[in-house]
Amino acid sequence: MGNLRDRAAIIGVGNSKFERISAEVSPLVPLVTAFKNALDDAGLDRSDIDGLLVNIGTPFGVDYDQVAEAFGLNIHFSDQTWTHGRQMATVTAHAAMAVEAGLADYVACVCSINWARVGTVGQHGQWQDDREIGGAHFEHPWYGMTSPGAAWSMAAQRYFDRYGATSRDLAEVCVSTRKHALLNPEAVMRKPLTVDDHQQSRYVCQPLHLFDYCLTVGGACVVIVTTAERAKDGPKKPVYLMGMQGMCAGREEATGSRPGLGIHQQDENYPVPHPRDLAVYRMAGVNHEDIDAFYTYDAMSSIVWLSLERFGFCKPGEAWQFVKNGRIAPGGELPVNTSGGLLSEVHVSGWNHVCEMVRQLRHECGERQVPNAEIVQWGTNRGDSLILRR
Amino acid sequence: MQHDSASSGGAAAKPLPTISDYNRPFWEGTRRHELRLQRCSACRKFWAPNGPVCPHCFSEDYSWDKVAGRGKIAAWVVFHKVYHPAFAKDVPYNVAFVELAEGPRIIANVVGVKNEELHIGMPVEVVFEDVNDEISLPKFRSAGSKA
Repeated sequence: MGNLRDRAAIIGVGNSKFERISAEVSPLVPLVTAFKNALDDAGLDRSDIDGLLVNIGTPFGVDYDQVAEAFGLNIHFSDQTWTHGRQMATVTAHAAMAVEAGLADYVACVCSINWARVGTVGQHGQWQDDREIGGAHFEHPWYGMTSPGAAWSMAAQRYFDRYGATSRDLAEVCVSTRKHALLNPEAVMRKPLTVDDHQQSRYVCQPLHLFDYCLTVGGACVVIVTTAERAKDGPKKPVYLMGMQGMCAGREEATGSRPGLGIHQQDENYPVPHPRDLAVYRMAGVNHEDIDAFYTYDAMSSIVWLSLERFGFCKPGEAWQFVKNGRIAPGGELPVNTSGGLLSEVHVSGWNHVCEMVRQLRHECGERQVPNAEIVQWGTNRGDSLILRR
Repeated sequence: MQHDSASSGGAAAKPLPTISDYNRPFWEGTRRHELRLQRCSACRKFWAPNGPVCPHCFSEDYSWDKVAGRGKIAAWVVFHKVYHPAFAKDVPYNVAFVELAEGPRIIANVVGVKNEELHIGMPVEVVFEDVNDEISLPKFRSAGSKA
C-alpha cells in the first residue's frame, strides 16, 4: 500500500466527562457518551462503524466484544491492545492501515478507563512478569519495588545525576501543564500550581513529588478514522495523518526512560535522537520548526523532558533547560499538552491528547487555541509518534 | 529493612518470590549465598532479567554462573508512599538498580546505608538475607572503595 502519508484522516472525536467515578461503574458507561459524541462529530450513525480498535481491556477498561455487543455494533475488523497505556499512536496507525487496505470503512478507536476498578495503581505487589495490572515497571514486590511511578522515578534520578537537573527544574513541566489545564473547562485539575506548591508536595517515590504524577480518575475517548477520500464527505474539516510510527521495544527501551539513559539494560552510549526515531518527520515531509504544538504521554512529568530529547527538539540532557521560561506553556514557542495532558486534564492513556490535537487543528479550542495551528505532533519517550495536519 | 519470617502467612506478610522452573537456579543459588545469573555458553555474556535464550546472540545454550556480587548503584529511589501494608513500617525505604561488574543491572535494596548517603556510582557488594528455609534475598551494602 506504500506510503500512508495523508491517506487516512480523523473525522470525529468524542469524550465523556472526566471525573472520579465509583469502582462499581463499568467503563462502558462513560464510553456511551464518548461514542455518541464522536459519531455526532463525524456525522455518522453507529451502523457506519465497521472497525473497532480497543486500547485497554478489563479490568481498567472494556473488551472489544463487550463494546460491540453492548452498543449494538456490527464489526468486521476488531483488535485490542494490552491492558496498559502507551499504545495510542500504534492503534491509530493500525486504524489508518485498516481503512487504506479496505479491511474497514470507518474505524472507531476506543479507550475507556475507570482507574478506581483497580484501587491504588501499584498496590498489588505483583512480580513484573504478572502483566495484567501491575508488571512492566520493574516490579519486585519483595523489595517493596511496586508501582509504575517508581520506574519513572528511577529514570528521573539518573537524569538528574547525569545532567545536573533537579526536582525544582522538573516542576516547570508541571506548572506549564497546569497553565494549559486552567484554560480547558474539561480538565480535572483547575487550581493554579506554582513551583513552590510542587516542591512542598509530598514525595510519593523520591525524587518524584505528588504533582509529578498523573491523575487516575475516569473517562472515555473515541476517535473515528477513515480514508482521506471518505473524510471529505463529513461535516467537519478532516484532520490528516501525515506521519506515523509505532511503539518501540527492545533492550534499549525501558519504562520511565528513553534510550541512552542507562536504566535497566539500556546502553548508555546509544545515540539520541536515533535516526530511526526521526522517520516520522521523513514520512510527513516536515521538520521540527513546522510543529505548532507537541503532545506526549505525561503519566509522569519527566516524560516531557525525555520525549523532547528523543525526538530531537533539543539535545540529550538539555530538555530541563529547554522547557523553562514558558516555552511549553500557553503562548510559548512550543506548547506541550495543551489540554492539560495526563498530569492535569485526565489519564485516558493518550486518547485525550489526540482528541485535543484534532480540536486544535480544527481551531475549536477557544481560549487555549494555539494560533493558526496547522501541524501538531505526538511523540513519547518510547518512540511512537503521530504527525497530524489540518 | 528486614523480611520478618515470623510474620509470613500473616495479613501483613511481605510478598516473596514464587519459585518456578524458570528461576529455580537463581533462588537455589541465593539460598547458598551465591548470586548467579544466566550466562551464554556461546558468546559468554551474562544477561538479566531471566529469559529462555541469550538476548545477545540468541543461543539457547546457557548455564547459571556465579557472579562476583560487586557493582555500583545505577539509579535509586526512596519510597515514601506505602503501596503494600507489609512495608508500612519500612517507609521511607530505598530500592536501587545495581549495575553488576559483569554488566547486567538488577533491582534490590541497599542496606546499612542511610538514604541520604545513596548516590549513583556508589560501590556496593551483595549480602544475603535469609527470609525462610527456601528464600534468601540478595541485597547490597556499601563496598567502600573495594568495587
